[in-house]
Amino acid sequence: MSFMQPSPVKYACSCGILNPINKLFFCRHCPKLRCGYCVTHEIESHFCSNCLENIPSTEARHKKNCCANCFDCPCCQHTLSARATTVPVVRKSEESKDAKKPEDESGDSPAAASTPPTPASSKPSAVPTTKKMYYLSCLSCRWTSRDAGIPDQGVATGTWPDNECLYQARFNSLVEYFQAVVLQEKQEKMEFMRRKTPKQHKFPSLTDRTGLTVSLIRRQMGWNDKTIPKAKAVITPAEATAEVEELPADIFTEPLNLRNVTTIAQRHSQPADQPTAVSSLYPQRRTLWIKRSLRCRQCEHNLIKPEYHPTSIKYRIQLFASCHVPEVVMVRCEQSLASGKSNAILLKFTNPTMYDMTIRLLTTAPTEDAEPAAEGSRIKEEPVSSSPHLRAAGITLSRQNSTREVKREVTDVSNAEIVPLESEFVLSQRDDSKEFDEYVQLPTEEPKFIVWRKGNKVLIRLQFTPAEELPANTDVVLGFAMQYTYVNTVTNAPEKKEPTTHALYSRVFINAGATEQKAN
Amino acid sequence: MPIYESVMQEKPPIVLDIGTAYTKLGFTAEASPRKIMPTEVVLTTTGIRKRLFDYDTTEELHDQLVDFLQTIFFKHLLVSPKERKFVVVENVFGPTVLRETLARVLFLHFDVSSVLFVPVHLIALSTLAVPTAVVVDIGYSETSVMPVYSGVQIMSAFKDQSYGGSAIHAEIRRQLLEAGIKDDLLTESVLEDIKVRTCFVTTFERSQARIKDQAPPTPPPGVDYIVSDHDAVIHVPGTLRETVYEIMFEPSNERDSLPHLILRSILDCTLDMRRALVESVLLVGGGSMVQGLQSRLRDEMQHLLAEDSFYANRFHGQLQFKFFNPIGKQNFTAWLGGALCGATDLIQTRSLAKETYLKSEHVPDWSNLCDNRPTGS
Repeated sequence: MSFMQPSPVKYACSCGILNPINKLFFCRHCPKLRCGYCVTHEIESHFCSNCLENIPSTEARHKKNCCANCFDCPCCQHTLSARATTVPVVRKSEESKDAKKPEDESGDSPAAASTPPTPASSKPSAVPTTKKMYYLSCLSCRWTSRDAGIPDQGVATGTWPDNECLYQARFNSLVEYFQAVVLQEKQEKMEFMRRKTPKQHKFPSLTDRTGLTVSLIRRQMGWNDKTIPKAKAVITPAEATAEVEELPADIFTEPLNLRNVTTIAQRHSQPADQPTAVSSLYPQRRTLWIKRSLRCRQCEHNLIKPEYHPTSIKYRIQLFASCHVPEVVMVRCEQSLASGKSNAILLKFTNPTMYDMTIRLLTTAPTEDAEPAAEGSRIKEEPVSSSPHLRAAGITLSRQNSTREVKREVTDVSNAEIVPLESEFVLSQRDDSKEFDEYVQLPTEEPKFIVWRKGNKVLIRLQFTPAEELPANTDVVLGFAMQYTYVNTVTNAPEKKEPTTHALYSRVFINAGATEQKAN
Repeated sequence: MPIYESVMQEKPPIVLDIGTAYTKLGFTAEASPRKIMPTEVVLTTTGIRKRLFDYDTTEELHDQLVDFLQTIFFKHLLVSPKERKFVVVENVFGPTVLRETLARVLFLHFDVSSVLFVPVHLIALSTLAVPTAVVVDIGYSETSVMPVYSGVQIMSAFKDQSYGGSAIHAEIRRQLLEAGIKDDLLTESVLEDIKVRTCFVTTFERSQARIKDQAPPTPPPGVDYIVSDHDAVIHVPGTLRETVYEIMFEPSNERDSLPHLILRSILDCTLDMRRALVESVLLVGGGSMVQGLQSRLRDEMQHLLAEDSFYANRFHGQLQFKFFNPIGKQNFTAWLGGALCGATDLIQTRSLAKETYLKSEHVPDWSNLCDNRPTGS
């Protein structure tokens, strides 16, 4: 309804954050509204967004979350595409050497690369056969892999070289060194603790505490000492030097060409070496994307589970709120808004479920589960055990979940008085076939506030008065609690198969628009 | 310990270095961060892009951190944070509310298994495998100096000043506004780009000549910088390129320019340490990657040692300032230290485990007496 613009109707999620209905989920097992903030996100599968190849998680980890085949432009972060050129190859052995040499050089120097076929054409005597060579090119900024000095490859994918980390060897030796140092410390500490704590022995001996007895006996037996002093971890420490890199003298005279200096984003896209010269930019392997699945924090059921294959945009489990909760759409206000002046708003309710719904609008939220309001705390927390069954049975899991549902109280932003409706009303079930039927107004007895009814949609008229003290040009927000009956087709208990009906409520806030400037 | 190692390979711990301007993120035992990204969040509620550390209430910071870490985990690192170990590089004198909120977000919202907080100066030094150095961290919001001796930080000699990347940006903006450039062209990213691509630290001799101003040296050639968003050209004068970094070296009676800061910090250490510290200076942080900074610092400090009577009376003998060349780039040296640290067994023994945190919901801190009682448990 409100495409590409923020929806004026917001629902309060069970965690207290206001969201439009298209950003909410509905957990059928709890049953409560959930938003992206109060669910756990999980990684379902990795895939490359360019070649749409599914990559298993172990392989993704091994490849550092990068696609093996796709590259990004180091200049503009656009995707690079492989382009083919035909390079002549000469059959004769000695001539082929001659012909190949300039080819190799041309691959190295970007200036010569633009004219690859010239050397072969100058030798018409040889029979030229062409061979396809590939290079990477950016269709957005015209950068090519020849600019980086990468020679053309015979295969389009898979053979592109990675730029190696210059200090990898030093880093590895540092890792080994620190691992050895920490391990040694740990062993010394354990040895110390062993000596310090007296052994629980039947016949305590003073010499035992020093560890002397053991080593004496070992020596008498001809064994060598158990505690061989281990070789200490060694590494050559870095050396400080007074010969630091001086400022190049020509910086004061030579004009700076900004085309040759990389921007900060280009440097950061290559974090290991962060080149300052454009010529040392290197094609970047494209990072993978993921498909996410969402899980309710309270009952640990899946809310969203996408289909595994990257090309599919469907879901295996989808519990979007807009498929379960009646949707409220603001149609219009009857008059222009003014503070203290009674007004009426038209709201359209839509039932997305296959069961009839009874809806009642309450001006205040039901209070049965708002108990900690008395404590005056803004955030209430509720420890979540892994499963409600276990909690009921008094069993605590050894690996307990530490995440807690952090509940905030819904910030009540409404600033208008609502005239409550006389009665509740029924939203009939959704029936796709009825959409196309001839619309016949049934002569049924309807409450007065219902303006119009068709299929699963009802248009109601709700009277309200914006608050008296509202200044001009401020948004009028209507707040009410919508209580609706929800028929749940899944049950936690396996023996009960028939659907159960819940009376649920959710708080809805409608931004009706700004009050008009007072004409005086 | 084959089992332990296979476990490590199963789920490598995540190393985070959340700076004021840029965040470095990656996994332990890797030689470079996976990504260096601006420390900015796009709020899921409003869609506004803002800096992570701009906040009014703790709750706002909490929500921003959730959004920020969510992007890190699911857009960049592509791993689930659940049951994972973390190494967080932190400022020793950083605000308590930041680390408390970060711990709260990590443990309660993301359900991580342990967090190891490491101090930035000490851990940056570990990449050199030397125990002693003066570590100078030139960041975005501030420059801080911390001497480390035999692997111990000398807290009493810690010094910091507010000249960092943001001060340089302000200086570039001031000079360009004076030159008549329109204010709306000079966004933060344009200023940063001008700083990184055109500016440098000039030599000691030239700056002295400029101060004495009999004959100011001919400035380097100016550059035309193109702002493609606005179809405009900013002419960056050569004097600007040369002089913006002078705010770090401005002599004042406060004695708070960068050379003074380092020298005073060394003086605050005991006599026996000073020679070792003078001979080992390590510059880290993104601000230290500018051309010519090391040589200028060395010349300035040598000059002060010889000419300034305050230092001449206190430093004795033939002293020569020496600098370390860090492995990798300076802007992620501290991150690299965290990656080294997380690759060792320390992550098992020194981390703040989830169970410990949940008991008291408090992060132990060196400055908190409750955690450092001599007779404590």
